[in-house]
Amino acid sequence: MSKLVCENLTKQYGHKTVLDHINLTLESGKIYGLIGRNGAGKTTLLSLMSNQNPISAGTATIDGQRIWENPKALSRICFSRELNLSAESALSSYTLKAYLRAAETYLPHWDKDMAGRLLELFGLEKKKKLGKLSKGMLSMVTILVAMASKAEFTFLDEPVAGLDVVAREQFYQLLLEEYTETGRTFVLSTHIIEEAADVMEEVIILDRGKILLKENTQELVDRARYVTGLADQVDCATAGLPCHHVENIGRSKAVTVLLPAGEDINPGYDVTVQPVNLQKLFVALCGEEVHR
Amino acid sequence: MNQRLTEEKSIYLQISQMIETDILQGVLLEEERVPSTNELAKLYTINPATAAKGINLLVEAGILYKKRGIGMFVEAGAKEKIRARRKEEFYRVRLQELLDEAKSLGITREELLERIGGSAK
Repeated sequence: MSKLVCENLTKQYGHKTVLDHINLTLESGKIYGLIGRNGAGKTTLLSLMSNQNPISAGTATIDGQRIWENPKALSRICFSRELNLSAESALSSYTLKAYLRAAETYLPHWDKDMAGRLLELFGLEKKKKLGKLSKGMLSMVTILVAMASKAEFTFLDEPVAGLDVVAREQFYQLLLEEYTETGRTFVLSTHIIEEAADVMEEVIILDRGKILLKENTQELVDRARYVTGLADQVDCATAGLPCHHVENIGRSKAVTVLLPAGEDINPGYDVTVQPVNLQKLFVALCGEEVHR
Repeated sequence: MNQRLTEEKSIYLQISQMIETDILQGVLLEEERVPSTNELAKLYTINPATAAKGINLLVEAGILYKKRGIGMFVEAGAKEKIRARRKEEFYRVRLQELLDEAKSLGITREELLERIGGSAK
């Protein structure tokens, strides 16, 4: 099994530390979700793991080989970046055809047939200039490049941004189809967490430049509880457990609890316990500081 | 396989319950092949590992079995097994919930029995 490993991966811009000693192992054959608030360092992390941005300290390796300026290692990785084109950007005047030709030259495992099929599926016109494409269409181009790259490790940064609901559903289907057929590894960053949650085998939460957690998505969600009731009852029911995002409303109190594996809410108290979805859990974890 | 996923429960539990319900309702027959994890993944837009977890629960419960190289099949007698387990669960969980709720609303035993007698026809 192949592995992409980051050890103490750090990125600084001047005095600002954007990524702080990241230790992360990505195993081949999984779909990972990378979530974090704006500015958490998601794009920086993906760019560091794909030679698109120099590392300040630490290492990123694939099966023990350094990724930085190593064509052999890089041939196994594709980071299809979000295309944000300002009017002045040189890319704006590229036609889609020229852009795809560049991708074909740059990506050694390029699947031309697949690129053609996806162009048709998305209804993209090759003659159009990138600068003339809508945000949704640019997202489709990013997805197309990622998929047709056939890279063993493929990173997608906000692939569904700007896509309508139907196109997003199409993307998840496409991703699962490609994944079940090839077993390629995908890392998917997204802000539309709930929609993508069921597709991710593991979730990586990045918070202010650090990995907050990396865990099987289902197991993580299974550990989360939303506990409400009279404040003292809630306090007793959750005593000794890690509580996040505490809300007090009059006599009542609500907390999100992330249970340690194998533990449960303290029994015998009159509280309401509800499940928590990944998005709500993320807000509870990253929306404010940990309380206990 | 036409049911929808909800947020109330783990996805893999829902997958296993949907397959069970399909067996109970005769959508899936005994000794018949059930959708593969990859097919389930695409059908419900979920990770195949999650679908596999749901399938494995049913294998452990003796509801499904694996034919090497072909796929997962419904065990003979699965329908009866599911019915028996759900019946036991109904008495243990649902009935208890009903009794607890009745108690907290101050519904008497007689009142409750009379209602059940009246609607269970």
